[in-house]
Amino acid sequence: MRPDLPAIHEIWVYLAASPLLALTVTLGAYALGTSVYERTNRHPLANPVLIAVSVVSLVLIAIDMPYDTYIDGAQFVHFLLGTATVSLAIPIYKGWASLKGRVGVLLLALLAGGATSIVTAVGVLQLAGADEALALGMVAKSVTAPIAMGVAEQIQASPTLTAVFAVSTGILGAVLGRFILNGARVKPWWQRGFALGVASHGIGTSRAFSIHPQAGAYASLGMGLHGVLGAVLIPMLMAWV
Amino acid sequence: MIHGLFQLLLFQAAGELVSRFLVPFIPGPVIGLVLLLAFLLARGAVPRNIDAVGSGILQHLGLLFVPASVGVLMFWPLLRANAGAVIAALVVSVVATIAVTALTLRLLARDNPEDERAP
Repeated sequence: MRPDLPAIHEIWVYLAASPLLALTVTLGAYALGTSVYERTNRHPLANPVLIAVSVVSLVLIAIDMPYDTYIDGAQFVHFLLGTATVSLAIPIYKGWASLKGRVGVLLLALLAGGATSIVTAVGVLQLAGADEALALGMVAKSVTAPIAMGVAEQIQASPTLTAVFAVSTGILGAVLGRFILNGARVKPWWQRGFALGVASHGIGTSRAFSIHPQAGAYASLGMGLHGVLGAVLIPMLMAWV
Repeated sequence: MIHGLFQLLLFQAAGELVSRFLVPFIPGPVIGLVLLLAFLLARGAVPRNIDAVGSGILQHLGLLFVPASVGVLMFWPLLRANAGAVIAALVVSVVATIAVTALTLRLLARDNPEDERAP
C-alpha cells in the first residue's frame, strides 16, 4: 500500500462518524423492504418497515455501532416525522366532504377503539406482572409514532420504547387487519380503513392505501383524528388515573 | 417542491411556537396539523405545491419510522425478559382495537348500499 493513502480503517472511522453511513443504511434497508413487499405482491408479512428495522438492527450489531451514533445520522430522516404529521392535514381535508353525516359515528368508534387499545395492552401486561416501564410505554402506542413520542414525554414514559411499541402495533395491524376485519364481517372500505388507521396509524394506513384508495383515505383520517385526540386526551387521562 | 416544503415547515414551526408558549401539553406537529387544516378549509383547496410535497412524504411514511424503531436494540434486554407478556399485549390489543373500532362503525352507521365493499 502506498503510504500517502489513508488506511482502510481510517476511512471506516470517517464514514462511521458522519451521517452518511446511517442515512445510507436506513434508506437502503427501506428500499430493500419495499422491493421485497412489491415482489411478494404486497404480502402483509413482507412489511417494508419490519424488513428495514431488522436489516438496520443487524447491520448495527454486525459493525458494532451504538444506537446513539446511528441516531445522530438517522435523525435527518427522523426529523421529517414532524413534517409528516403536519401533512396529515391534507388527507383529512380531502376526506372532509365525505365526512358529513359520519362525524358522530367516527368519533364514537375512535373513542371506543382508543380506549380499547390502552386498556387491553396495559391490562395484559399487568396481568402478566411485567415491568411498569413497559406498561407506560404501551399507553400511547396506537397513536401515530411522532405524536406518540410527544405524548410519551408528557406522561413520563420512554419515547423510544413507545416508538418501538407504536411501530410493532402498526406492523401487527397491517399484517392481521384483513383477518380481523373479515372475522368481524365488516365490509365497507371506509369502515375497514378507519379501523386500521385508528389501531395501527401510519403503517396500517400505508397498508390500507396499497389495498384500496377509500380505505387509505379513511385510514389517514382515523390516524390523524386519533393523533389529535390522543395528544389531548391521553395526558389528561393519565393525570386523572 | 421547495415552496411546498417551505410552507409545511412554516406550519410546523408555527405549531411548535404555539405549543411551546400556549399549550405545552399538545405536541407542536399536532398543532401544525390543525393550523394547516384550518388554512386548507379557509382556502377551499390544497395548493398544488403543498399537496405534492405533503402527499409525497405521507407515501413514504414507513421510512420515517425506521430510525426510532431501531431503538428496539437499546431495550432488547428488558423486552427479552418480558417477551411473552409484551407480544401478548401487542397482539391482543391490536386485534381488540381493530375489532372494536370496526364493529362500532358497523353497528352505528346506517347501511348504505352505495358504499364500496371488500369482496
